[in-house]
Amino acid sequence: MKKTSTTYILSFMIILCVLLGSLVSFVQLSTVDILKENEKAHKSSVIYRAFTGDNNKLTPKQYEEFITANLDQKTRSIGKRSLEIFKHKQDKSIGFIFQGLGFWDAITGIIILSDDLSTVKNIQFLNHKETPGLGARIEEQSFTDQFKGLTIDWNAPVGERVIVGASADPNAKNRVDAITGASQTSIALGAFLNTELEIIRSNLKDF
Amino acid sequence: MSNKPSIVFIKGLWNENPVFRQVLGICSTLAVTNLLANTLFMCFGVIFVTALSNFTISLIRNYIPKRTRMIVQVLIIASFVMIVDIIIKALAPEIHRFIGPYVGLIITNCIIMGRAEAFASQNKPVISLVDGLACGCGYSLILIAIACIREPLGFGTILGYTLPAKELWWHQWTIMVMPPGAFFMLASFTWFTRSLTAPKSETK
Repeated sequence: MKKTSTTYILSFMIILCVLLGSLVSFVQLSTVDILKENEKAHKSSVIYRAFTGDNNKLTPKQYEEFITANLDQKTRSIGKRSLEIFKHKQDKSIGFIFQGLGFWDAITGIIILSDDLSTVKNIQFLNHKETPGLGARIEEQSFTDQFKGLTIDWNAPVGERVIVGASADPNAKNRVDAITGASQTSIALGAFLNTELEIIRSNLKDF
Repeated sequence: MSNKPSIVFIKGLWNENPVFRQVLGICSTLAVTNLLANTLFMCFGVIFVTALSNFTISLIRNYIPKRTRMIVQVLIIASFVMIVDIIIKALAPEIHRFIGPYVGLIITNCIIMGRAEAFASQNKPVISLVDGLACGCGYSLILIAIACIREPLGFGTILGYTLPAKELWWHQWTIMVMPPGAFFMLASFTWFTRSLTAPKSETK
């Protein structure tokens, strides 16, 4: 068969794709358990950091122990989504895993609210795929620290209870500064945080 | 052109170093060199992909249809990048969270495509593997050297360990943590290494 013929090219590409695809799949399947464990450990560490504000590194077991000893957990089904809610046994603060669409892909994280839902106590991010150096800076402490003590204006319309970026009143107690150069990520974050806050408020009964 | 493994290796590592001689792979050089641990994993990724993609492309070079050779090369490189991404994600999830986007971008690293097209598609598998290893090591040499300066000056640490008597003498150079710090360091390294390797006629 001639190397220039369409049949040869097609056959070559199909065989190559199958071989390389199998190789990648084999590596992925061999590490699937480790990846799951890593993801679980990361989630526990983020929950721990969000509730305690402690950035020191502990072992995955210590994170798990903190969660078991200090937090009550519940999962609510909302359509296809299962909303994970945590309540601190001592100070009664509420935390929940939020999710929303960022600039490139989904952003997930945990937000901690005071027991009366009037203020935000902390926010930490679990996963995102925002632009490194720009949108990815939502993870930086200088950004997340702005949320500590942030007032939620429950009397405002749904999209304006928490404002990320500019507002008519620059000193508003429910506003945090956006990230310079990452306007779209900041706008998206502000929009879905407000939606998520409304969801959590209507799903906190009996907790 | 001599294809002795030792000569090919020294060429890739120094005489034709991809970063300071060929000015390739600059994006990741600037992005991941503020912490040495991140740099080491990035270097592992690039060495792994350059060596194995060179070897594979060379192994099947006589069967690759000429018209689709670029697609084949990208396909092979992308597969090895996916493998290295999974490995780093499994072994060092914290580091992967920082350098993950750049690991994916190894696909577009000019060094890998450049060596595949210029060397692996015309040479035998073993020597292509050596060439890939050499270019990966040459890239790593510069990245590690830059990281060894940026991390201590920017964070006061090396591989995460605090420098001795840091509080007595250390003052943070914030610029070293940021991308402009990498620009200055890369320019200084390029000037220094080129002045060492430049032929006499070039220096006149």
